[in-house]
Amino acid sequence: MKETTTAPGWLLVQRVAAIAILLGLWSLLIASGTMPSMLPGVIQIFSGIGEALTSSIFWAALSRTLLTALAGWAIASIIGVLFGLIIGSIKFLDRSTSILIDFGRSFPVLALMPVVIMLLGSNARMEIVVVSLSCLWPVLVQTIYGARRQEAAVADTVAVFKIPALLRFRRVLLPSALPFVATGVRISASIALLVAVGVEVISQAPGIGRQITLMQQAQRWDLAFAYLIFTGLVGWCLAVALQQVENRLLIWKRQEND
Amino acid sequence: MTSTTSILATRRGTVRKARPRSGDSFGRSLLRATWLIVVVLVAWWFLSANSTNFFIPSLEQILTTLGRDLANGVIVAGAIYSLTNLFVGLLIAAALGIILGLLLGELGWLRRIVDPIIHFFRSVPQAALVPMIIGVFGMGQGPKMGTIAFACMWPILLNTIDGVLGVEPTIRKFSKVYRIPRSLHFRKVVLPAALPQIVAGIRVALPIGITVMVVSEMFASIEGLGFYILNSSATFKVPETWAGALLVGVIGYVISLLFVLAERRLLRWYHASGSQ
Amino acid sequence: MTMQLQADAQPEAGTQLMKVRGMSMSYGFGASENKILEDLNLDVASGEFISIVGPSGVGKTTLLRCLSGLLRPKAGTIEVSGTVISGPHPDLAVVFQDYSRSLMPWMTTRDNVAFPLQGKGMGKVERNRVADENLAAVGLEGQGDKFPWEMSGGMQQRVAIARALAYNAKVLLMDEPFASVDAQTRFDLEDLVIKLKQELGVTILLVTHDIDEALYLADKVVVIAEKPATVVDEIITGFGEDRDQLATKADPRFADARARIMHRLRKD
Repeated sequence: MKETTTAPGWLLVQRVAAIAILLGLWSLLIASGTMPSMLPGVIQIFSGIGEALTSSIFWAALSRTLLTALAGWAIASIIGVLFGLIIGSIKFLDRSTSILIDFGRSFPVLALMPVVIMLLGSNARMEIVVVSLSCLWPVLVQTIYGARRQEAAVADTVAVFKIPALLRFRRVLLPSALPFVATGVRISASIALLVAVGVEVISQAPGIGRQITLMQQAQRWDLAFAYLIFTGLVGWCLAVALQQVENRLLIWKRQEND
Repeated sequence: MTSTTSILATRRGTVRKARPRSGDSFGRSLLRATWLIVVVLVAWWFLSANSTNFFIPSLEQILTTLGRDLANGVIVAGAIYSLTNLFVGLLIAAALGIILGLLLGELGWLRRIVDPIIHFFRSVPQAALVPMIIGVFGMGQGPKMGTIAFACMWPILLNTIDGVLGVEPTIRKFSKVYRIPRSLHFRKVVLPAALPQIVAGIRVALPIGITVMVVSEMFASIEGLGFYILNSSATFKVPETWAGALLVGVIGYVISLLFVLAERRLLRWYHASGSQ
Repeated sequence: MTMQLQADAQPEAGTQLMKVRGMSMSYGFGASENKILEDLNLDVASGEFISIVGPSGVGKTTLLRCLSGLLRPKAGTIEVSGTVISGPHPDLAVVFQDYSRSLMPWMTTRDNVAFPLQGKGMGKVERNRVADENLAAVGLEGQGDKFPWEMSGGMQQRVAIARALAYNAKVLLMDEPFASVDAQTRFDLEDLVIKLKQELGVTILLVTHDIDEALYLADKVVVIAEKPATVVDEIITGFGEDRDQLATKADPRFADARARIMHRLRKD
């Protein structure tokens, strides 16, 4: 691969410049008058973000959304890893569940919202359920692949030395599936936030998603966009941080993956 | 950099795919794959048969309602409306994502510069975007397609970049030594080499697209499957609500299944050579 | 007739095809400069088979990348057909070490062979014909519709050789082309290359770490060694046209040359 070495400082300058160009284009688009008048300009959005950052309602809503997302994600991770390891290591279960799992992962859970709201109401519990249901599939699918991918040599070794089942599960199956599990857990973290906001937008359960629609209904388009963009930034930071953690945790796996 | 579920899934999954043993008949493997679904459906049928909860209708009732509304055309018209939005949106997303992805994949300097921007856009909550775009641009089909395209573009773009970066270095060297012209190199070397990742990206985008499709119709529409579901729930037609949600799920599954079948044909070389 | 077609295209035997003068290559700058090659000189005449042999890690890959125009040397010049090259040259074709990776799995073998010709702007019918002829020349007649991954390693490397031949370059650069096949296949491929050289008159520059292979195939063996690497010896093999895996390798001259090369390589 052609990796030209650029000084990190210079790259940062270039990246900032690229963002400036993007914002400039946005301003130009607004100034040209071809866009509907509701669309806020760059300055309005920035002042909106400033207003949001000092607003306690905003922070309360954001932390509420993050907490719900976290709860749903944690539940999905635990269930997904547990079931994934079991399904992945038992061939019969693996084959029996494959269609069901394929169905589940291609199911747009947010489309089910009206049903879920009917059953559970517009509250945090419902939101956690929907988030977990959405986050479950990446974890489950990745864990199953991880558990399935037992090296034949390792499996033979385990058989030859008559390693007990529980020990085998803990010391062989889990570590070898870990890189896949980590990826699944990381992917579902981003999904958790996206879905949590989506649920709030649709169901009007309290949280940042609801705030976005409220601002919009109040014709405060600048704040609505500011909230949306800030939520995107939070999600982005989360994804970057988790990627870092995954890279650090799985250094031992690196050379093997290459 | 980025890895989405199904890339890893398809990439590594194929390597160790368990081939059915020669002794297995088709019927037996079909039975093994489907018995659980049958059990689930039967359990649902009987457990819900005597349901007294107003919000949990019996499966029989749901299916009857579904059959009725499919037959009288209520759902079909909505489904055509929804799927048109979905396909146009996906098509735009795929076109933009693939072209930009090929470009960014080849131009390392540009990729490194815009990388944070792409990841930011991918992190913007798609569902929250729906009321914004519809609020600004109106209720027509165009804004809905646009929102679907916007939401679906990022996974396709990121996967395409990954695919381009994954092109075998020896093949790149070959292309240089044999002085393959640039356009030919793009069409015949980079694009096919990245195709498995591109297809995986579209598969990731598909459920996102369906979600945005439904949500956009729940928000501002008097047509479509999303409208059918929301309208049913708003008027307390519980079986209809369930039927609509179930149908969306089945449609999502069927499309992704068709996709997998198409992929098997299109990427035969990939699966065959990967399993060596 | 294929053979005729190819032979016509080759320049008269003995013409100077490649001239390398004072070639040096290094990575990094200043104190951290890592010199790989220093002051390398090489002449390749038409119809010649030259082996460049050197121990593992001596910089053979870097040398080959420079010769093929993929890498620009820090100093010195590489002339091909009388002009100094600054990048890949149409008179040079490369057979890569990693056959399974240099062929494109999404193309049939025919398309793989014909692809560089498409790059040259040759029409479909014509390039398919040339591809089939060259596949036949490497012993893969009628296998054009197969995909590379349906073939054994040895057959895949034959396809890669056919692709290089079809490109109709004046010089074939081979980068350890038989390093990753089993011994029997390796002998078959070596004999194929000898046959191609005799019948088509192609000029071949082979880079290898295997002394026996270098000697068995070449008219001239160039030994590179030391760090940074440079030419330490040149041996004219003189086995003539007919070579045999058993007889040639049993030739006393073979043993002598072998001992001489080993001696040279062991010194450092």
